[in-house]
Amino acid sequence: MAITRRMFLKRGALSGVAAASIVTGSKKAAASITATDEYGSIIDLTKCDGCINYDRPFCLAACKDKNKDNFPEPEKPIMDYWPQTKHEDWSDKRDLTDRLTPYNWIYVQHLEVEYQGKKIQVHVPRRCMHCDNPACAGLCPFGVNNKMPEGPVIIDTDICMGGAKCRDVCPWEIPQRQAGVGLYKKIAPKFAGGGVMYKCDMCYDLILKGEEPACVGVCPQNAIMFGPKKEMQEYARNWAKTNQGYIYGDVENGGTSTFYLSSLPFTAINKAIKEQEVDGKPGRPTMEVGIENYLEEPASLAKGLVIAPLAGVMAAGLTAYKIMQGGAGDEDDQA
Amino acid sequence: MKMIRHNLAIRFTHWVTALSIFVLLFTGFGQMPMYRRYNVDTLPGLKWSSDFLITLNIHYIAAAILIFISLYYLAYLLFTKRWDILPKKGDVKESLIIMAAMVGLAKEPDNDKFLAEQRLAFAVTAFSVLILIITGLLKVYKNLPMVSFSAKTIFWLAQLHNLFTFILLFSIIIHLLAFLYKDNRFLVPSMFTGKISRSYVEQRHKLWLARIEGEQVPANVVVEVLDDNINTVAKEENEEIIEEIDDIMEKTNEAEGIEL
Repeated sequence: MAITRRMFLKRGALSGVAAASIVTGSKKAAASITATDEYGSIIDLTKCDGCINYDRPFCLAACKDKNKDNFPEPEKPIMDYWPQTKHEDWSDKRDLTDRLTPYNWIYVQHLEVEYQGKKIQVHVPRRCMHCDNPACAGLCPFGVNNKMPEGPVIIDTDICMGGAKCRDVCPWEIPQRQAGVGLYKKIAPKFAGGGVMYKCDMCYDLILKGEEPACVGVCPQNAIMFGPKKEMQEYARNWAKTNQGYIYGDVENGGTSTFYLSSLPFTAINKAIKEQEVDGKPGRPTMEVGIENYLEEPASLAKGLVIAPLAGVMAAGLTAYKIMQGGAGDEDDQA
Repeated sequence: MKMIRHNLAIRFTHWVTALSIFVLLFTGFGQMPMYRRYNVDTLPGLKWSSDFLITLNIHYIAAAILIFISLYYLAYLLFTKRWDILPKKGDVKESLIIMAAMVGLAKEPDNDKFLAEQRLAFAVTAFSVLILIITGLLKVYKNLPMVSFSAKTIFWLAQLHNLFTFILLFSIIIHLLAFLYKDNRFLVPSMFTGKISRSYVEQRHKLWLARIEGEQVPANVVVEVLDDNINTVAKEENEEIIEEIDDIMEKTNEAEGIEL
């Protein structure tokens, strides 16, 4: 990891391109990535037109193409999750693009948002937000989902057991499960495990090479920008201030690496998303404003873990004192 | 006649430990996502079991209780210097003899307060609890905002925590299975009442009995016994007698080289 960061440093120093150029979203931006620990992105909804004049959105097509070798190839027939009589299999629906699936890590939701009496077309590309303190990673029981120093939250698909807990604790239920693949097949496939969880990995391999994610440069509207997270955040906040616009992702879930910009409030956008809900199943995330992190409540309980040992030692001191004073009911007191 | 085997502090430690570990195991397995899959949450009163937030919060609370009681016990051992439960040299060999004796192949050796196999089992259990507390605390710490560990550290923390959960579970099962053996069953009530029959101790724990009632009875024990006996005597007399006894004890102890 250190080598990578040095590499970025070198690139940054050599290119000498001002940070301002990073947010242009052009292909050149990749070369100007400077030394930093963390990357982030901006999705500008005022620019995104959902590629409605095309077959499918460019970002989605680029993602599918870039990750074609990363998609699951399950062995069939796939077993049910005993004792349940179901399993999650998307392998026959690989071309589905209107939701997140193990074969579709970004999708664009086309909305008609009602705001101040007007109906406005809004297109929202959705994928993993790469949170600052991701509950999906923090609560993975096998420790195979991690927040990398460069920003992406990455599931190790070689060891993932497919319990889908990450999806349950994600405020947007982003990770999607495919049965019939992964480590569980080698252990007790009938009784434990459920497959492997898949989601956007911020094109981690490309980031390590000093390049930007596949979805960024292909956008015909330059609606997706990529760069050091701090700069993305700063840009988003300045933009919101000057344009009296709205940001989604800066405070949500305790902070993320993705900043959506919109001239409409996200409460209105969220309402439109909810109206479009089809089956209530994960894969078409909502945009609840200010949604809280799953780990917040346990974090406040954690203080108790510091107090506990101190209380223990104090109580023991008291007990020992009583025993030394010759308290009744002790083994030395076999009257 | 009954004898005291476990004082209140030990019984408190044992049952608080047992209860917190039971809760930790149940809520810990709940972190595995399994209660919904295996329909545990459809059982009456267990609907909450598949809610990760509820089980995680309970896991933290029970962990705080386990840490409290572990430190309480550790400090108790350090303050009272009662090391009977810790393994001694030769315990492995002695446990093998005890196990052979269980099936009639050998004669059970004279035991101290605890059997060699109990001391060994304690070591395994205590070590597992220690590893679980350390890895658990680190897992809690890494989930706080602004804290991040490397992917490798997180992976090994999870593996260690899970592995020692199974070792602890295994040691608890062995602990409970030990009571299938009839002779061990006499010990069960003592963890509730603290008391055990003297005849059982005379038969099976000769070394312990010799230690607490042997020729070298510590002077303070004698004083306590006498203290109890003179409770009924009038107060002034009482004090006089205590002074006298103290004098006698001091002289005897000096003569015998026992430190008060």
